[in-house]
Amino acid sequence: MDEITLKNLFAPEGMAALTRLCGYLGAAFAIGMAAVGTGVGNGHTADEACSGMTRQPAAKDSILRLMLISQAVTESAAIFALVISLLLIFGSNALPSLEKALALLAAGVSVGFGAAGAALGSGLTGANACKGLARHPRTQGALTVTMLTAQAVVQTSVVFALVVALILIISSFPGNSFIRAMALLGAGISAGFGAIGPGIGTGLAGSQAVDGVSRNPSASALLTRTMLLGQAVAQSTSIYSLVIALLLIFAI
Amino acid sequence: MDAITGADLVRAMMYLGAGICMGFGAIGPGVGEGFAAGKACEGIARNPENAGLVTRTMLVGQAVSESTGIYSLVIALIMIFSGV
Repeated sequence: MDEITLKNLFAPEGMAALTRLCGYLGAAFAIGMAAVGTGVGNGHTADEACSGMTRQPAAKDSILRLMLISQAVTESAAIFALVISLLLIFGSNALPSLEKALALLAAGVSVGFGAAGAALGSGLTGANACKGLARHPRTQGALTVTMLTAQAVVQTSVVFALVVALILIISSFPGNSFIRAMALLGAGISAGFGAIGPGIGTGLAGSQAVDGVSRNPSASALLTRTMLLGQAVAQSTSIYSLVIALLLIFAI
Repeated sequence: MDAITGADLVRAMMYLGAGICMGFGAIGPGVGEGFAAGKACEGIARNPENAGLVTRTMLVGQAVSESTGIYSLVIALIMIFSGV
């Protein structure tokens, strides 16, 4: 193998090294940012579960169970990012090119930032569910259902980011066009950052809905309906980001 | 790799800019609309009789909050399709 220097990294002989390098950088972005969101989200849930157990020791088992369910859902965002990271580190036997290099970096950015937002939102919902269960242990059933419904909507934002990342990893981009390479990086940034806001926003809606269910269980059907309506509107911006990302991948 | 001309650089940065525009532009509306939906749920839990009014107000507030997301979408589409 020729010696690769910064000078010939962007020349044809350096393309293999550049593709690998961008793949590793993408893997770091993916799992690094996902860990930030998942750590904070799961920690927040555990925080509320602990203080709930202090207030209501009789319900400690059901609080622990709800906390673990919520953390499992929150963790799934990080698992998506872990899978993408492993694919970027070990699975990149793609034809090296400038476009492929930037596509791999974009895949990491997309799923990393997307997972951070979704995990934060999911953690907010889980935290308020644990708090609500400590307040009224009898509402456990309605709380679990509302929490899981809310978290399912929250996770859709990271699923959009995951779809874009998988397209960027699996498709072959043999060309060396600088324009297309930048369009692919833009697609990753659009899908990734675009998922942060909707992820946190839908999580905020879910957290207030589970709080309401625990205070007023008779209104839980009405609350779930309002929550889903609000979340659908909040989720729309992540769909715009997905559309822009797909346009940048396929229409340029 | 061929040399990158000034026109190539402009087009490349317009595509990168489109991605950044829509990506960051989606953060604010997403969080803001979530706030509105959350507070609407809180209000309905306190007073379920007012659900119609609260839902209507929530949707009006979210529509205004959505507008900046739509500005980002429009700018991103212009940057992709203006064909400079």
